[in-house]
Amino acid sequence: MSLTQALSAAISGLKANQAGLALVSANVANANTPGYIRKTVSQVATAGNDTGISVNVTGIQRELDTYVQRQLRVENSGATYADTLAQAYKQLQDVYGTPGSGNTLESVYNSFTTALQTLSSSPDDPAARSAVISAAQLLTQQLNQSSHSIQALRGDAELGISDAVTKANQAMSQIASLNLRIAASPAADGATATLMDQRDTYVDQLSQLMDINVIKNTDGQISIFTNSGIQLVGTQASKINFNPQGMMTAAATWSADPTKCTVGTLSLLSPNGSSVDLIESHSVRSGKIAAYLQMRDQELVQAQSQIDAVAAGMASALSDKTTAGTSATSGLQNGFDVDISGMSAGNKITINYTDSLTQTAHTISLVRVDDTTALPLSNDATASPNDKVVGVNFAGGIGSVMAQITAALGGTGLVASNPSGNTLEVLDDGAGNIVDVTSVSTTKTATSLLGGSAELPFFTDGTQPYTGATTALGSQSIGFAGRISINAALLADPSKLVSYQTGTAAGDSTRPDFIFQQLTAGSLQFSPDTGIGSASTPFSGSISKFLRQVISQQGEAADSANNLKQGQDVVLSSLQQRFNDGSSVNVDQEMATLLTLQNAYAANARVLSTVKDMFDTLMKM
Amino acid sequence: MSVSTVGGSAGIAIQQLVGMRAQFDDLQRQLSTGQKSSTYAGLGLDRGITVSLNAQLSAIGGYDSTIANVGTRINLMNTALGQMTSISSNVKAAMVQANTTGNGFGPSVAQQTAQSSLDQLLSLLNTQAGGRYLFSGRATDQPAVETTDHILNGDGSKAGLKQLISERTQADLGADGLGRLVVSQPSATDVSVAEDSTSPFGFKLASVTSNLNGAIVTGPTGSPASLDIDLSGGNPNAGDTVSLRFNLPDGTSQNMTLTATASSSPGTGQFSIGATPADTALNLKNAITAGVSTLGATSLTAASAVAASNDFFDADLNNPPQRVNGPPFNTATSMTAGTAANSVIWYTGEAGTGSARGTATAGIDTSLSISYGARANEQGFRAVVQNTATLAALPISASDPNAAQLSAALNQRLNTNLSGAPGDQTLTNIATDLASAQTAMKAAKDRHSQTSATLGDFLQQIQGVSNEQVGTELLALQTRMQASMQTTAMLFQTSLVNYLK
Repeated sequence: MSLTQALSAAISGLKANQAGLALVSANVANANTPGYIRKTVSQVATAGNDTGISVNVTGIQRELDTYVQRQLRVENSGATYADTLAQAYKQLQDVYGTPGSGNTLESVYNSFTTALQTLSSSPDDPAARSAVISAAQLLTQQLNQSSHSIQALRGDAELGISDAVTKANQAMSQIASLNLRIAASPAADGATATLMDQRDTYVDQLSQLMDINVIKNTDGQISIFTNSGIQLVGTQASKINFNPQGMMTAAATWSADPTKCTVGTLSLLSPNGSSVDLIESHSVRSGKIAAYLQMRDQELVQAQSQIDAVAAGMASALSDKTTAGTSATSGLQNGFDVDISGMSAGNKITINYTDSLTQTAHTISLVRVDDTTALPLSNDATASPNDKVVGVNFAGGIGSVMAQITAALGGTGLVASNPSGNTLEVLDDGAGNIVDVTSVSTTKTATSLLGGSAELPFFTDGTQPYTGATTALGSQSIGFAGRISINAALLADPSKLVSYQTGTAAGDSTRPDFIFQQLTAGSLQFSPDTGIGSASTPFSGSISKFLRQVISQQGEAADSANNLKQGQDVVLSSLQQRFNDGSSVNVDQEMATLLTLQNAYAANARVLSTVKDMFDTLMKM
Repeated sequence: MSVSTVGGSAGIAIQQLVGMRAQFDDLQRQLSTGQKSSTYAGLGLDRGITVSLNAQLSAIGGYDSTIANVGTRINLMNTALGQMTSISSNVKAAMVQANTTGNGFGPSVAQQTAQSSLDQLLSLLNTQAGGRYLFSGRATDQPAVETTDHILNGDGSKAGLKQLISERTQADLGADGLGRLVVSQPSATDVSVAEDSTSPFGFKLASVTSNLNGAIVTGPTGSPASLDIDLSGGNPNAGDTVSLRFNLPDGTSQNMTLTATASSSPGTGQFSIGATPADTALNLKNAITAGVSTLGATSLTAASAVAASNDFFDADLNNPPQRVNGPPFNTATSMTAGTAANSVIWYTGEAGTGSARGTATAGIDTSLSISYGARANEQGFRAVVQNTATLAALPISASDPNAAQLSAALNQRLNTNLSGAPGDQTLTNIATDLASAQTAMKAAKDRHSQTSATLGDFLQQIQGVSNEQVGTELLALQTRMQASMQTTAMLFQTSLVNYLK
């Protein structure tokens, strides 16, 4: 009975139209829902008997361009990384102040040197003296403040990682549970499509936090790996652990050794119980977490070491006094005598000698070390690239010191002896004529304001003198910018800016001239840890020149981070556009579909009514 | 980067609008502050140069303020030097007048001039620039010199110039006023003149020459020196002379010539030829005694005052003045170093060994500094102060019969010393040193104003913005924003929804 067939076909058409209408309304309603993918109806014609054909809705289709989606996720990581980095650099730029304003490190430094110029021409003027002190106070405050800001930024990065990890764990566990639900619902119905939409949203979220690799499995599940190949999500989610440290200081650094690591570290706990350190394995290379890690462990650490170098440079330039040894001979042996009393930890004895066979110059730096756990010192303990550094512990008296020095000179042909008191005598090999001592000198930190020479402990490390000592915790210079202050004795008596011994005349400009000269023209070597200069050719120049390099390098880094961010934004925008074109709801399109559905519905209804008329005709017979 | 949290194409359009708004705000900031960027990152590749430029500009600013400051000091020093020169001329003029004037007692007028001149000189040497003493060497917080009263009259237990002169005069003249000489007759026909001791005081016998007929003149020999005029060979003829030459304590020397005369009442510088050589010898002895006594009250007194003054002024805190080893002074035979406790030290500034100019230096350019320090005890200043003070300090009484001669002897010495020996430093030399410092400063200042203009321009190019450019960019951006907003609005309005019935 074909009329009945026509009737059921029309009814199936009406049903299909209704399903389509429901989808159009869902699409329009979700036009602005994040992560919503446009859905379409999949329908097939079904045949009954020989002629009867009706329509059947087989499922709901997601209009998804998976290729663009994958690209979008990669760029999403990159863009978030670039964006986070640019933001952090922007905040770091604030530390250096506004160019041309009075609050920049350089302008505060310049005010200090200008005040010194005035003091040089009016050493007797109490106003000029206190102007130097207050300019120096501003400078130390600026350094302290910069150091605190940098550490606060590191703290922010630490918290940022913590937040990101919480979000990542949520996303991962959601993805795992959605995976299970998707696998459990076999039909390609609207519910499954919605679950997939939700899962994609979480994957997108995760891709912002870290770079991931998404693998589609056959049963509709997905697995997520880091780009280093560690699985994050399968049917079960791994968990990332992060132990944020509340207080961030310059001395806090990341280390693969848990006993030395004083900042939070990322570890991945897989469902089977194994644990991987994500930082050590370099598993996070992009996304928000990688950006925060890079700021916390590299960029900000370097920024801190740069201002530390400025602070340490200023302190040492004013307090360190290098004294050349006096010539000494013994028979055919020539050399020098130096007085090694009064050396502080970090002070050094420099022995320069020439290997007469090859005419090569060598340098040995003997550095006083009080914390024996810091021994032996590495050659990086001094900024100079060409010296061999040996730490010497002075605790055991002159005999022990001489034994250590003799051991340090072993194999060089040089002979160390102690003719009297605290005198160190270094002689060459005399008749052997294999080595010649070119010079021996000591560098000592002035600890008294009335030491009889222009050098003075202008700046101190809190209440301690700054001597550049190395301890088990590292060099004294680490975080020094945050602790540098003006010698309290100098604050109490600014006349010591001029008076370098009892009876110095008020108008004697020796000391002001020295301070000005050291701060503007004195040449220092800066450690390659600052990111300026290299280990083989460390940056060498005045503090002003170093400051220029710092500002230049930081500005450049911030600028290029910003450029990278803008570039990434463009890429991401255009990908997003492409993705939206293919996958998001176009209301116009939906309206057109609506019209079609309306017409089709009317047509089906028309068929239904015609069939009814035909049945009526039959019935009336 | 908030694309995925805002749905659909609206998000991208909005993001673009937000970007343009941010650009708009930045341009507005540039226009109002005149600065290209509020961070170093935004300055572009030249950001490092701005640090150097700022450092250079700040150094130049420092140098310029040094130059202004030091310029004032040198100007004040020059003014003081000019006034000292004119005071020195006035004192000289007063001394010349003292010996020629007919009105009143010349010497005392000159002494009054000297006293007021000394006041002025000392206050000029204590010139301050902003609380800084300019002539104290490095001790710029201490006055350079003592007051007139302390210098002349002493300060409590500390002796002043007048006391030193008085002690020295006593030592030089001796108790009998003969300048520590002993005139005697070893035999009836023999006259001997001898120094009373080997001391730095009094007349020192330099030579004796004679054309006295029959006389045998020997000496001066021995220590203490003595000379001998032996007339045993017979009486001299009238008109024959004998000349004695004395060295005086201030380094000058003085002749005394005695002429034999037949007259029984010899004038000054003459001696009578007696009946016998023994009578003549006695006359000669008396004439020598009278001559030496007069010279003692005039030349020797003047020379003694000059010598004492020289000792007094050749002193600083490290080297207190040399004083006569006494009392008693009139028999003293040596000098002894005074102490800061018993003698006024006229120069109270810094007494170092280095050059006086080097006591104040000022950096006026990178690796260029000038020296403009001065110590009040430099030869140029000291000569003026010392000679003026000596004139003011030596008492010359109107009732003294030798007053005019003493005044002449003193003035002649002081006048010579005021002019200074060839090669000695004078006020002009000091002024020349200061002038060359001023020239260097002026050159540096000119250089600085050029350099800072150039550097400032460069800095402005890097840090600053051109208002025209920013204004134009603002207008262009405004147009683009308006167009973009309008098309976005149109885009949202143009939806099929609006046309379905």
